[in-house]
Amino acid sequence: MQGLLKLSRLIDAINDRIGNWVSWLILVMVLVSAGNAIIRKTLNMSSNAWLELQWYLFSAVFLLAAGYTLLKNAHVRIDVISGRFSARGQTWIDIFGTVFFLMPMSIAFLYLSWKVFVRTYTQHEISGSAGGLVMWPARLLVPVGFFLLTAQGFSELIKRVAFLTGHGPDPVPRGDTRAAEAELAEEIRKHAEGKA
Amino acid sequence: MEFLTANIAPIMFAGLVVFLLLGYPVAFALAANGIFFGLVGIELGLLQPSLFQALPERLWGVMSNETLLAVPFFTFMGLILERSGMAEDLLDTIGQLFGSLRGGLAFAVIFVGALLAATTGVVAASVISMGLISLPIMLRYGYDRRLASGVIAASGTLAQIIPPSLVLIIMADQLGKSVGDMYAGAFIPGITLASLYVLYIVGVTIFKPAWVPALPPEARKLGEPNGSSGTPSFVVIFVLAVIAGALFDRFYYVPKYVDVPLDERLVIAAGAGAAFALAAAMVNRAFKLGLLSRLAEQVVFVLIPPLALIFLVLGTIFLGWATPTEGGAMGATGALVMALSRGRLSLKLTRQAMESTARLSTFVVFILIGARVFSLTFYGVNGHVWVEHLLTSLPGGQLGFLIVVNLLVFVLAFFLDYFELAFIVVPLLGPVAEKLGIDPIWFGVLLALNMQTSFMHPPFGFALFYLRSVAPSRDFMDKVTGKRTAPVTTAQIYWGAIPFVIIQLIMVSLLIAFPQMSLVYKTDLPKGDPDKAFEIPVEAPAAGNAADDIMKDLGGKNDDAGAEPATGKSAEEQAAEDLQKQFGGK
Repeated sequence: MQGLLKLSRLIDAINDRIGNWVSWLILVMVLVSAGNAIIRKTLNMSSNAWLELQWYLFSAVFLLAAGYTLLKNAHVRIDVISGRFSARGQTWIDIFGTVFFLMPMSIAFLYLSWKVFVRTYTQHEISGSAGGLVMWPARLLVPVGFFLLTAQGFSELIKRVAFLTGHGPDPVPRGDTRAAEAELAEEIRKHAEGKA
Repeated sequence: MEFLTANIAPIMFAGLVVFLLLGYPVAFALAANGIFFGLVGIELGLLQPSLFQALPERLWGVMSNETLLAVPFFTFMGLILERSGMAEDLLDTIGQLFGSLRGGLAFAVIFVGALLAATTGVVAASVISMGLISLPIMLRYGYDRRLASGVIAASGTLAQIIPPSLVLIIMADQLGKSVGDMYAGAFIPGITLASLYVLYIVGVTIFKPAWVPALPPEARKLGEPNGSSGTPSFVVIFVLAVIAGALFDRFYYVPKYVDVPLDERLVIAAGAGAAFALAAAMVNRAFKLGLLSRLAEQVVFVLIPPLALIFLVLGTIFLGWATPTEGGAMGATGALVMALSRGRLSLKLTRQAMESTARLSTFVVFILIGARVFSLTFYGVNGHVWVEHLLTSLPGGQLGFLIVVNLLVFVLAFFLDYFELAFIVVPLLGPVAEKLGIDPIWFGVLLALNMQTSFMHPPFGFALFYLRSVAPSRDFMDKVTGKRTAPVTTAQIYWGAIPFVIIQLIMVSLLIAFPQMSLVYKTDLPKGDPDKAFEIPVEAPAAGNAADDIMKDLGGKNDDAGAEPATGKSAEEQAAEDLQKQFGGK
């Protein structure tokens, strides 16, 4: 169990790091997209490569951050029923869901998209539009993203089994799930009081 | 076995409900449902064994969908904006402007709510700002607690329906229409809704004046030394700005650029008027002319940032400079610049905003990916035919369909958030609506309006929840008057929301009765110059992707769901092109 927990911590650390890195792509996307519009208007120039770059970047964000989002428990759930269960009950649901929901999907995409990537790479496919980008980097993002997601699923599984068997703490912070809003409220309150 | 084969679509749908209610993340539950029933379908011989070969192309369709870029752009913009202090300044100043009127603070809340909604609405941020800035003032000067909390929650949710809102963007994408058209279709209903709120407050000032007292003179911080409120001065500058805008339009813009469409002229004239007001206020302040009251000057200064942002996210679309997606990016850039210039942008805040945006957009896109896996199987077993049959057999034709669908969405919105509704339910309803001759834009705006209600509905409504988290929940000492003030109880928040939920439902019925409110998009553009505002090459791939969602219904996808990826792709492209012609070239 200790060896597995070590592996889980390693996966968590990797996905956390990757999540922090790809977040910067959000800023890059914003600037690229705003730049596209401004340059088209002012210089009357438009480039398909730059337009495609926008969604290449966004694909990189959501595919590479898939594991990170799972790590942060940020995928939305419908918890009208499961919200009433105990921490152990919810952990059982997570174990069931990881094994039967997440893993089949993730592995299916990993397997199928790898084949597509190999095809795109060996045939040097380029996107249909004139001056478009080469396709294989975007195609490669898919298997890499689903690999990270699968790995994170495995890590979540380890943490939950460890919790149930008494080898580790409850991996999910329960109760205060809306920390971001609370923090915002705190800041506005401070600001308002500073003025008054 | 026989039974299963004949009823696989309803069974699959029931299975989806069970999978979702289990409480595991929606995205994966959806996908798992698709995969599980896909395997069952293959086993029963209903589906080709190669069904899942289509998955990579489905994912590719999601990746290359440029409309989805709006999700990170507007989320990021909202996160930067909510920390920029713009909302607080607006509430402060506009509260002063209207404060001397009976019901003035309530009007100010509605006005600022609508204004924030038009920059980029984030319900949570609007409600929290109003709950922290306006609610204490309302309580201090004796507003009815139910009314005060109701008007704040309701005004915060305007973000959902007034463009640019993510709900409208996603709705346009899922219904295969252009985002610009969806914006145009939501404008009048959104403004009408805000006006209905105002009307309700006007009614309250007449029949229950004690609920909405005017602010006493000592509460007006921006008054003039001589005791005048400074409001007349603002009226003057406002009228002058309108005149300046009109003159600019009449004597410069129209003669210079012949044949400009009305929406473009409006945007330019508004810009000219705002520039005039800003110049006047700056000159007044710089040279201490004293021609404008402090209040008028301050109002002009606080209004400029939101107006500039509205220009960036909406104006540029109507001028044809940017796509709706790029409008989001421009707005986000503008928000960054504004937060930076106010000294509110730190590295920490930027990182937080980027990381939250990455998480939120990831979960949203994964719900869409899950929904696409689900629909691959569901359409494969002719689930859409089953849904269509179910809904077209409703009595009452169009009206019956709309009433049932609105009730359904109203109830579902208790459990599902709007991304889930938009990705799972809307693609099933859209084609049926179209078949019944219901305009997709009208339909989309109706659903968006309906989903907005779910934010306000006790006891689950998120807006109420956010308000509860910032409203005083026990006796507190008012800092200004030094009096002990009673808290706002949860019951008061719930009761306060009811009149506004009713107004909301009235608005839904009004829009059902008068579809013209949403159909202006068809007449808005002058005849000789169609699509000027929206025909930008970038829109093409977006339309193609949206088309992918509904093409199955048009017969493009149905049989080749299990075909080889290569051929599947070309069929997909073909169908997308066809639809593009249909939608793009209206």
